[in-house]
Amino acid sequence: MIFRAVEDGDLIRQAARGNVEAFNLLVSRWEKRVYNYLLRLTANREDALDLTQDVFLKAYQNLRKLDDGARFAPWLYRIAHNEAYSMFRKRRPESDVADMPPTATETGITVGGNSVFPIELSLAVAGALERLSPEQREAVILKIYQGFKFEEMAEILSCPVSTIKSRLYTALELLKTELAPIEA
Amino acid sequence: MSCSPFDLKDYFLEELGGAERKEVEAHVQACRSCREELNRLRLTGTTLLSLREEEIPRRIAFVSDPVFEPSLWRRWWMGFWNTPARLGFGSAALLSVALVFFAVTRPAPVQPVRLVQAPAAPAMPAPLALSAAMEARIDQAADRAVATRTQQLVAEVAAERQRLLMAATEVEFANKRQHAFYMSAADYGPPRPAVEAK
Repeated sequence: MIFRAVEDGDLIRQAARGNVEAFNLLVSRWEKRVYNYLLRLTANREDALDLTQDVFLKAYQNLRKLDDGARFAPWLYRIAHNEAYSMFRKRRPESDVADMPPTATETGITVGGNSVFPIELSLAVAGALERLSPEQREAVILKIYQGFKFEEMAEILSCPVSTIKSRLYTALELLKTELAPIEA
Repeated sequence: MSCSPFDLKDYFLEELGGAERKEVEAHVQACRSCREELNRLRLTGTTLLSLREEEIPRRIAFVSDPVFEPSLWRRWWMGFWNTPARLGFGSAALLSVALVFFAVTRPAPVQPVRLVQAPAAPAMPAPLALSAAMEARIDQAADRAVATRTQQLVAEVAAERQRLLMAATEVEFANKRQHAFYMSAADYGPPRPAVEAK
């Protein structure tokens, strides 16, 4: 078990008072998770890195508006979600954002590498995720990879819990069919 | 279609409470189709997690902008001023300065004393009685002058203290304005509570 000498809540309070070092420590704890979330959302490493920087800058600037430090994670991911979709809108302003899938993940999702899993498995997962709708994919990312609760996901995505559940259940059915088919 | 008392996906996604989880676990032990369904969900989850996370290519760190960074003197002053005993320090320092200043530059004026002929005491010679009366008047005048001066000094120290408190408030306000200037216009409030579907 890992004990943190300073909890996130303390760092948030110090950072809100203008302590840059406290905020840097907070960033170091969250940057990898936020980056991977944005990487899977945008399917582009440069975009994900730029957005991650923007997310933390906005978080620093608006930290005083966060009343409850315990809600930091969903608050941060909400900023990340909004930043990503703001970028999608800027790039394709004529389209409906809901119809903007962050398409090919060929540059966005790492397969194989140092993973203990075979590369074919990672490829199969990347392919299965690509075939989901953007909303379903984001629900899977937030739940499976980021470990948020339904209520937190609803806050991040600004939609009802029932919608989150519907997206996630549909996505799970599709993924199950592809990744865990019934043996004949 | 699952016959589990609670949704197996909720169980798999760890969205059920302790009692509900136990019910599902007991059911799954007895129901083969639900057990197979849960195994498929678990296999799906394990397979999804085979996609590893990437390290961030460049670490993110923020530094204070030197333009807005306070000078060494200002940082010392803010550090001093932010101590809880600042009022005590401030008051004592001001009082000391004021006392020294007024002692050096403006010695307390002695009000002119009008000599009044005191009635001669029969038992005392005339020059001695006059001297005693004068000393008494001088003492009274000196006491009055000291009291007046002390009141003035106290009032001045109180005014200085008030002025310093106002200055501190202005400094704090200026800091807030500086911070606000540095911020962009984006407005992110705290997360809103989820709204259930109609």
